[in-house]
Amino acid sequence: MTEPRNPGMSIPQTAPTHVESTSTPVEMDPVEYTLRKRLPRKLPKRRNDVYVNMKTDFRAQLARCQKLLESGGHREICVHGLGLAINRAINIALQLQASSQGMLQLAANTSTVELVDDLEPEDPDEAGEPMTRTRNNSAIHIKLPAASVQISSV
Amino acid sequence: MSSSKAKMWEKKMRHQPTSVQYSSTPNGGDAPVSGTYLWWSMCRLCADCVQTVCRLCAGGAFARARAAEVSAMLKAVNRTTGKCHVFGSLPKHMRRRAMSHNTKRLPLRLRDRANRMSLKAGSKKEPAKNKSRKARRRHGNMLLEFNRRQRKNVWLETHIWHAKRFIMVKKWGYCLGHRPTNKCYRPCYRAMNSHCLLQDHSYYCCIELQGEESTLLASLSRLTSKEAGPTFAAAMTLSGQRQGSVVVYRAGQYPLQPLGPVTFLWRPQIQGSTIRQLWIWAHPTIKKDLLPELQTVCECCEAVVPSINLMGTPAEVVPTTECEQKPNETPEAKQITGTKRKKTCKDATGPPTKKIIGDGTRSPTTPITWKSSSTGVIINDLTMEMVRFRLIGPQSLTVLSETLETAGVHKSKPSSLWWSEQCKDESKRSLHQEQSDIYRLLKGIHLTGELPPGTVLGLTVEDPRLTLPTKKVVALPHVKQSEEKSRELMLKGVPKHCCQSYLWERSVRDNVTENKISEQELNRRRSEMLVPGSRLTPTPPQSRIPILLVHQPGKQVGCEMMSWGAGWDLLLPKGWGMAFWVPLVYRGVRIGGLNMSLKHSQIKGVPHFPHDYPDCPSGVAFQEEQEAELLKTFKRRPPAKRTNYIKHGCLAPFRCPWQQLAEEWEPIRWNRERRKTVRSKQRQSVTSFSLHDLLNCHEWISAAFMLSRNRKSLRLLSGWCRPTTSKGQRPCRVGDQPPLNHSAVMSFLTAHRMSLVWVRLSTLSKGKPEPHAMVCVPTAEDLQLLNKGPGSSGPQEPPHGDHFKSRIKHKKKGLRKAATSSLSEMSHLSASEPKPSSSKEPDPSQSSSDLTFGLWPDPLPRVTSHCCRLTLGWATQGDFSLSVGCGEALGFVCVAGLLKTLSNQPMEHRGMLLLRNPTSLHYRFVKLTIEV
Repeated sequence: MTEPRNPGMSIPQTAPTHVESTSTPVEMDPVEYTLRKRLPRKLPKRRNDVYVNMKTDFRAQLARCQKLLESGGHREICVHGLGLAINRAINIALQLQASSQGMLQLAANTSTVELVDDLEPEDPDEAGEPMTRTRNNSAIHIKLPAASVQISSV
Repeated sequence: MSSSKAKMWEKKMRHQPTSVQYSSTPNGGDAPVSGTYLWWSMCRLCADCVQTVCRLCAGGAFARARAAEVSAMLKAVNRTTGKCHVFGSLPKHMRRRAMSHNTKRLPLRLRDRANRMSLKAGSKKEPAKNKSRKARRRHGNMLLEFNRRQRKNVWLETHIWHAKRFIMVKKWGYCLGHRPTNKCYRPCYRAMNSHCLLQDHSYYCCIELQGEESTLLASLSRLTSKEAGPTFAAAMTLSGQRQGSVVVYRAGQYPLQPLGPVTFLWRPQIQGSTIRQLWIWAHPTIKKDLLPELQTVCECCEAVVPSINLMGTPAEVVPTTECEQKPNETPEAKQITGTKRKKTCKDATGPPTKKIIGDGTRSPTTPITWKSSSTGVIINDLTMEMVRFRLIGPQSLTVLSETLETAGVHKSKPSSLWWSEQCKDESKRSLHQEQSDIYRLLKGIHLTGELPPGTVLGLTVEDPRLTLPTKKVVALPHVKQSEEKSRELMLKGVPKHCCQSYLWERSVRDNVTENKISEQELNRRRSEMLVPGSRLTPTPPQSRIPILLVHQPGKQVGCEMMSWGAGWDLLLPKGWGMAFWVPLVYRGVRIGGLNMSLKHSQIKGVPHFPHDYPDCPSGVAFQEEQEAELLKTFKRRPPAKRTNYIKHGCLAPFRCPWQQLAEEWEPIRWNRERRKTVRSKQRQSVTSFSLHDLLNCHEWISAAFMLSRNRKSLRLLSGWCRPTTSKGQRPCRVGDQPPLNHSAVMSFLTAHRMSLVWVRLSTLSKGKPEPHAMVCVPTAEDLQLLNKGPGSSGPQEPPHGDHFKSRIKHKKKGLRKAATSSLSEMSHLSASEPKPSSSKEPDPSQSSSDLTFGLWPDPLPRVTSHCCRLTLGWATQGDFSLSVGCGEALGFVCVAGLLKTLSNQPMEHRGMLLLRNPTSLHYRFVKLTIEV
């Protein structure tokens, strides 16, 4: 989708892959440390939450959202995308909107998610403490009202 | 007489007495005629022949012969043969079926005989009358029976629980649950993936080392190497904040002779003490090798003979306190009910049975402690001294936090209980407060994978039986928004002093085990409460238990599904297993058996012990066991219904001849090298090299294969395996990696001779890999098939001929012929009825020696070039992966072969290999990844 990203609540965002080191600024030699990424913090998932990823087929994710919308069990569904998947989340939301003949109103929010990386020293005996660092990544949360609610509001 | 007539005659005369032989040779015939036959014929011919007979023989001899015949006949009439029953003598219309078991149905005249016969038969069948079920189920008798059964294989504390629900196997000296009897493969996977799976890992053996830090580290460093990752001395683990894991080798033998993987945990340093404590947790098969190795390394060989009051065999010491109460109770019971006469009798005769807690197979005099006079190191064998439960899954923390409550501080009068002693000390109380604060923070963390891997937390909790819900509930997370404190916890982990736990102290452990309230007592107190179902107040002072929570990192290698399968280990003092197990089960967890731990490591992509350690002694033993088992099931089928592995071109369907594979790949490389050297040396016209080279070659071959665990070289290798550009993937960073060229390969191979490497293979489209599947090298044409599309299936192997089949047939025919010819030489009576055993006897002996239908006989031909594609290695595990959604296999490939293949492959198809199941001719495309 070519639509520019909606800034939403203007969060100062530089390049999304920018690394921000909270621990003491030590120059990290890539040979000396192994980088292990931890999982992003997650809130418990409701039935109407869809977390978009880059591994699952796009059509499958779209069909899943469509099914959730049409089932009528929920007032709205939320599509979440983090980092690289932001694009895809927007794509899904717009596809859903297009297929509903413009009846669907989108409400997009952006946020910043703090991610944690572990740096494990290659030679742990001498190098001492393994380090952790945090970096920020952008995320998008798009709310789509379900069909039944939308008709009553119109 | 024709043969059929002879047979009939034989049948008729079967029960006739043959003791009397009367050689009546009136006409000089030499064939002996049996006496009875003569008798009957005599009767027939009596009238006319009597005179001739009288003329022929003397009267006295004749009468004697007849007397013998008569007596034999009487004997035959009286004797009942084994088969026929007494009522056989009744006419048919008087027989009834019920007569066979109820003699009163028989007529009176036969009853006596029938009774005698049944007595005779009965004495043979039932040697001793079993105890009645009621007697057997009585508590004391049951305990006796259980203790008898525990003498050979150790039972875990949750054994009875498991035995009711699991298929139990006897493995490694323990009785372990293999898989649940109900169908729950997918539910268990789902539990690991989204909720929580519980396993009892108490069979893992713990070895405790005590001593000065520097001496311990110096001696332990001989067992490990820094090249293979963090060792015992890694800073984070040494402080006691993290649990570490390491592969242990025999002392000073690093790349060779590994023993297996162990996990270890240092006790955080106590102020004012230089003595450190280290727990090494090892698989029971490793322990028997590891313990002597540790003793030699630490120079500890003085076994301390356990004195009963100090060390105390667990089975002995613990129950004595319980037994003191028991006899007090029994007399009362006797007076009241009067029905327990038998039990009290038994109490009077012998000591009451005690429940075995801990290792029941060990004799009380076996030393479990070794001391060193020179270094001061003490080695303790803490096998079965602690209970270890493993919770796998993202919600395991939620389950734990619902089950366990931190203990309240105890301020009442002093007693012998450890907790009231500890509560006197201010610093200890504040430590407990800090620990419970951290525990409260942990509850707010939603996923287990968000924490630093290997975090340790010491705690003191209350008896979870007190808060047992009346119904099974499913634990659900309660997440608070992240605060500054929990963020710090996630980043930095648990502070050092909070990793301390009283579980490390033997005295506390023993105290807690001794003073456990029995289930019965707890229920009695519950019944006395005013409001049924409410919590027991005040909390009994005995129910404070020191525990350790150890975080288990999930998937750490590779770049997909990071920290999948993370969880927590719960360490408890012994005796408390069931008290924690049932409350955990009531929080809606699934219980997995041994097969689930295999699946867990399979999805994580890490080698599972002992399946995937073919270079360790226990791995070798496992492979042999597995082969024997598979062979047994294979041979159980009739030959016509077996898979003919020879026709499938599968040389070793039940094992993986790693040594042969590694040896075969070495000369291939060597040949190429030699050819090059020949070419270069021809130019120089020097010919003295060949002998030297040959010697070199010989030296390589004689070495044993090894698995490469060197992290740096694995990382290099994994970089080479990745395709540089491929659809849907960004070009990966090559970075500082040297490109894959000839010189790099050569230098790599000289460093890693005869080595194998652990790989993960995932199918591109179709195919479900099976264990022992072959990993093969695709040709250039095969890779062009791949260009057509992702759905294109791989090449086919042309069926092989089975020239052993005819050999087996010939041998069988020859044997049968020999058997029949030898039989025909016997008398025609026996030859007409060939013994069934004689023709079948050679069959098993033949198959066991060499030839089995469908399998290659033992000296295998070249395994690499047997099929139309070169073999690189084998998969040790393979299945459809529920997490990825395609077939996945894990196995080893030969480094030399892999590098040769990779260097010949075009850039975009690097790491594409073929996989073929032993029962199929179809090659499937797989992608190879080496995860570091």
